[in-house]
Amino acid sequence: MTRRVVITGLGIFSPVGKNPTEFFGNLMAGRSGIGHLQSDFTEKLSIRIAAQIRKYNPTDHFSKIKLSGIERFSQFALIAAEQAVKDAQLELAEHEQPRAGVYLGTGMGGAGTLEDGYIEVFQREVPRIKPLSVLLGMNNAASSHLSLAYHLQGPNVTFSTACSSSAIAIGEACRKIQHGYADVMLAGGSEAMLTHGVIKAWEALRTLALEDTTDPAASCKPFAKDRNGLVLGEGAAVLVLEDAERAARRGARIYAEIVGYDCSSDASHISKPNAAGQTRAITNALRDARMRPQDIHYINAHGTATLVGDIEETKAIKQAFGDHAYRVPVSSTKSMHGHLMGATGAVEFMAAVLALQHNAIPPTINLHQPDPECDLDYVPNVGRSDVELNAVMSNSFAFGGSNAVLIAKRFEPR
Amino acid sequence: MSTLQTIQRMMVEQFELKSEDLTPDAELEALGLDSLSVIEFMFNIEDEFQIKLPDERVEIKTIQDISSIVERLVLEQQKAAS
Repeated sequence: MTRRVVITGLGIFSPVGKNPTEFFGNLMAGRSGIGHLQSDFTEKLSIRIAAQIRKYNPTDHFSKIKLSGIERFSQFALIAAEQAVKDAQLELAEHEQPRAGVYLGTGMGGAGTLEDGYIEVFQREVPRIKPLSVLLGMNNAASSHLSLAYHLQGPNVTFSTACSSSAIAIGEACRKIQHGYADVMLAGGSEAMLTHGVIKAWEALRTLALEDTTDPAASCKPFAKDRNGLVLGEGAAVLVLEDAERAARRGARIYAEIVGYDCSSDASHISKPNAAGQTRAITNALRDARMRPQDIHYINAHGTATLVGDIEETKAIKQAFGDHAYRVPVSSTKSMHGHLMGATGAVEFMAAVLALQHNAIPPTINLHQPDPECDLDYVPNVGRSDVELNAVMSNSFAFGGSNAVLIAKRFEPR
Repeated sequence: MSTLQTIQRMMVEQFELKSEDLTPDAELEALGLDSLSVIEFMFNIEDEFQIKLPDERVEIKTIQDISSIVERLVLEQQKAAS
């Protein structure tokens, strides 16, 4: 008998909102966080749009002494975690700290630090670079800073599976509690890769959305006929996961129970998504949740707005859900917050959990030209607040073929 | 500006410390600087004074320690250059 796992705290720092309330309010209002990239290298790029965190001043959040040792992606994670821990009113007694841990996802970790170092070494040819470069740039810096900040002495692991990193971090953290290895886990993801070199690499891959010249904010168009790619984003989302009994004992507010999770691999192509692998992840997550397709009332899609990706996901939902595929609302909130890579699974799972909490479904914006190959209910352009949701699903399908699916359900005490 | 004053100014700029706290015998740890912040600071010291810290570890506990090392190295490395 596994233990039940509930979500008791939420924190987010994203291009469409710097806390959960602002985030979900903007999603429901269909407000996009995508725009012209503000940087000193923008004019050297071919594609100049991104989902950037605006008006971010690190010294509003950290002392200068601290900042010299905390990379941008770790800063985002710490900001999101602080909100989540406060939201959960989480306090860990000394004897509980070894039973508390942190699992985060990231794609490129301290990309900015690495790139700064390379500029120094290869371009400016200086003999030495910043002494803390290793500690700033390492992929597990963010999770380690969370462990330090909250005395989490249990497992501290970073998952890096591209776009599914943080969905897997959440799913595996959930397992850790289910099977009794931990009682409390901070789980989520962080990404800060809007750097010159990283964006150039994405440009070369030809998967980025071209700028919508009439409205740059509308450049990402998931499931639409005129979609042409993804928009890179940055930010972090962190959730507090807790053993349900512990949460109940301390009278914590419970957002939802995590009831289903699975991850699978396409094992077919390094970048081309495959409906069969995605279907397996969805079907297995449903089985894990002991649910039927009709029990799921909303799916937050991976929905990157690439040509192939949206069609494959549509196929996968049809294969896994059968006839019910046409009745379940599916939306891609990436149309607003962009693709946060290693953080995106956590951001979107949080959107789904907030949908459950508010009985409200955020839309897929910029969906004006339907694609015959994408024929599900994508909640086009206008959110719905006249719904009753009992369970929600979040899909994350990554480059490399790594798929993850999470299911959350309204919590019912036994 | 003396070496000590320059160091004090740099600490105010880099770490937003209060200049009145930066007495010569002030311990770096008490000012909130851990070993990593000190490494980071010494990196900037090298730039500011155009010196190179020796590879062997040097004991740095107070602001005066930094100042003494800097003055010694400036002198040594000036001599070596001339």
